Amino acid sequence: MSVHLEHKESEPLTIKSLNTENPRWCVGCGDFGILMGLKRFMVDNQFIPHETVNVSGIGCSGRTPNYINTYGVHAIHGRPITVALGLALARSDLNIFIESGDGDALSIGGNHLIHGINKNFNCVFLLFDNELYALTKAQTSPTTRKGHPTYTQPRGTYLDPLNPIALVLGIGASFVASTTDWMPDHLASTMSAAFKHKGFSFVHISQRCPHYDAEAFDYKTTGWFSFLTHENGIPPDKRLADKTEVIVHDPMNLEMAFKYAASPRRHFGLFYCDPNKPCYDEILRWERDKAEKKPRSKLLDHFQI
Amino acid sequence: MSVEKRKICRFELLMDAGFGAQKAGDILIRALAGMGKYVYIEPMIPAEISPPPRTKPALSGVIIRVADFDITNIGNDTDLILASHEIVLDRRLDDEETNPNCRVLLDMGDKKDNEDSYEKILKRLTQMGISTFPFEMAPETQTIIQSLSGSGKNMYYLGMLSAIYNIPPEPVIKEIEKTFGKKLKDEAFNKNLKIFENGYKYAKDSIFFSYEITGTPRHTEKILIDGNSSISMGIIDAGIKLFSGYPITPASTIMHTLAKIFPSYGGLVHQAEDEIAAVGAAIGSYFGGVPAITATSGPGLSLKQEFIGFAAAAEIPLIVIDAQRAGPSTGMPTKTEQSDLPAALFGNHGDNTKVLLSVSNVIDCFYAPHMARYLTEKLKVPVIILSDFQTANSYKVIDKLKTLELNGNVDDLPDFVFERFHLNRLPDSIEMVRDNQSMPGTPDGMHRVTGLNTDREGHVNYFSQTNQRSHEVRNEKLHHVQRALKKPEIFGPEEGEVMVVGWGSTRGAIEEAMMNCQTLGIPASGMHFRIVYPLPLMIRDIFLKFKKVVTVEGAYGDEYKPSPLAMLLRSHTLVDVRPLISKATGRPIRPRVIMEKVKELILK
Repeated sequence: MSVHLEHKESEPLTIKSLNTENPRWCVGCGDFGILMGLKRFMVDNQFIPHETVNVSGIGCSGRTPNYINTYGVHAIHGRPITVALGLALARSDLNIFIESGDGDALSIGGNHLIHGINKNFNCVFLLFDNELYALTKAQTSPTTRKGHPTYTQPRGTYLDPLNPIALVLGIGASFVASTTDWMPDHLASTMSAAFKHKGFSFVHISQRCPHYDAEAFDYKTTGWFSFLTHENGIPPDKRLADKTEVIVHDPMNLEMAFKYAASPRRHFGLFYCDPNKPCYDEILRWERDKAEKKPRSKLLDHFQI
Repeated sequence: MSVEKRKICRFELLMDAGFGAQKAGDILIRALAGMGKYVYIEPMIPAEISPPPRTKPALSGVIIRVADFDITNIGNDTDLILASHEIVLDRRLDDEETNPNCRVLLDMGDKKDNEDSYEKILKRLTQMGISTFPFEMAPETQTIIQSLSGSGKNMYYLGMLSAIYNIPPEPVIKEIEKTFGKKLKDEAFNKNLKIFENGYKYAKDSIFFSYEITGTPRHTEKILIDGNSSISMGIIDAGIKLFSGYPITPASTIMHTLAKIFPSYGGLVHQAEDEIAAVGAAIGSYFGGVPAITATSGPGLSLKQEFIGFAAAAEIPLIVIDAQRAGPSTGMPTKTEQSDLPAALFGNHGDNTKVLLSVSNVIDCFYAPHMARYLTEKLKVPVIILSDFQTANSYKVIDKLKTLELNGNVDDLPDFVFERFHLNRLPDSIEMVRDNQSMPGTPDGMHRVTGLNTDREGHVNYFSQTNQRSHEVRNEKLHHVQRALKKPEIFGPEEGEVMVVGWGSTRGAIEEAMMNCQTLGIPASGMHFRIVYPLPLMIRDIFLKFKKVVTVEGAYGDEYKPSPLAMLLRSHTLVDVRPLISKATGRPIRPRVIMEKVKELILK
């Protein structure tokens, strides 16, 4: 996402002015942390809410636009990218955020994720990854860990989970970052970096689902993950930086990015960033703007006999 | 050559795919149109790119109808066929569209290697009572064709047809220059011209008959346009700024046309990754206040259905073009059918609220995007424009249309467009499910749209009364349209024995059949819908003034299964509407067949 920030003439944006109604998520749901992170980020940067659109798919993550006072489209399952792209083509003046889940983005909407990334249109894409289908009540998703029992695979999930970071690096994503719902500071820094990047900014967020899989993330300890950081990257979470490994990783280094993505250890931070990848929406607009303009009154002259 | 004067002729050129039959036909009708004649051309296109030559699936050609008056359809029977070999001819004879006096000009060039096959087809022609005129190109012409690696035969046939239809060579050569001038090198171009001249000369010298289309030419400002080009131009003229699509026959040519020129008119063409993404992008654009459209055919319509229902629930304008082809499933991609009516009307899950527009000719194609914009922006319900293979691909000469250059306000649409669709203007204020309908960018207008049920403030709400209200509000939008619908187009008196009803592309055939019925004193009238859903309120009263009400549709129906329009009319009027013709042959319905069936029905 690129930067469309102007100072607001009227009263400053506050968390309160971004609130709509009480979210209908379960107690302890990681989505609260992400929602608060998104609002915090918007307030810190004094966003103009009427020039911001949240677009989502279906699932717990899909409800996010309803709880944040910007414009919003809560679209159909797996397809928020398609709506966001249409909006981006029509309105380059808007800040577009997409909220999607692991089922929404990696299963039913996998095709759109591939092509959204390839088209590299300007938006921030937030993948709420709680490693299962939650709103439909605990079914196996593409990222459910092997052996974990669900209602659809009660004797344990059959397959190894799909690796979203490696997947999107492989597709050629221009911005790939990973964070969690329980590190507010790191989440805000990640959103900030994603927003500053021009193109399709893919942000993977490990998200807790205490109701269906409280064991998925050991959020009270730190030994199982490392931070990736760099002067052009994302700083490690302030609260946790001295409690675990911090690796300096150049986000231009794709080879190393793949290595960290493939590692069994989790890495949070900026894996990869290519600020020069062309953006489909810009190309289309550029082509339109440079085309020699013709009057519609002569539209049918070409067919004259 | 003797000259037979005719008011109207229908002839065909049949060749193998990839050898330029359509190009030759195109040149010929441009020349005819330039002479002030009215023409209607239907290309026959195989679904494959290069089916093996000299096989039945390779049939590619054109049917041309030419007259000294405006023609509305491709007509009944062919008077003359020119075929490049016996196989394509044999295939086409299976369609049973030849006139008893039909003349066949058959190229015997392939005969020496296919003696038996030629004998068989010649025998078939004799049995059918068709006069056959075998011919063969002179060695000189064949040598030129060989030097062009086998292409150029179409120019020979073009020459022959020009001579047979008394078109002077000059205007034809002018059109050949327009078509090939820039693309071919001088040498190749001159060779093509030579082949044309040889064909022309051969027919003049060796074929004893020729036709002349009578009448004084009307030299108004005319255009020659096909359905998909017309709808593409309509999209631009209607002020739509984004086209998003996915390749599918027969809708693709809309995307091709716009890809070439849309940027010059401030528009964008987005080729999406699939049909669903294409409709999603159109919805996204319209949510941002920028008019958008997507086009598809049957299989793509099925894929788009969830988003069509979403647009209705979220109250985002949406226009979808469905260029119907023969189904179900992949069916026959390059054959015409009207069987998507139920899918278009009832295809999405849950309650369906949408307006169905249909196009019956190239003029409707041009103004349908305007009408669709008006309806979808006023009502915030999806509008589906139903075209079909026949309308999308048939060319017609018409008087040049008036461009409207519609911009932001759809109320600026002039009255004549409403008259074309037999609709009055809608009320100024129409209630929406959600009060706030602001466009992104509007200060303090922030709101969220969703496929979930909401109350009027836009909050997700599962209460019984709230959901019922949402249904009522959405359906009331459709009722506004129903009340605004005027009496549909009627061909003939408003009472009689038989009322023949159709929609979309059958209009021309019904109109012509009814004119002929009335000339012969057969008490039948016709009715045609451009807006297929909702239907006007007064049609039951009209139906009751006829002993029988029947439909003519390019969709399957039989004794036990009412065809789609018949089913719809029965439920709407409680009149015993039955299909008269409910054929899914992939071929256009012919006026004469309608008239014969009407006669049978009256005698029954």
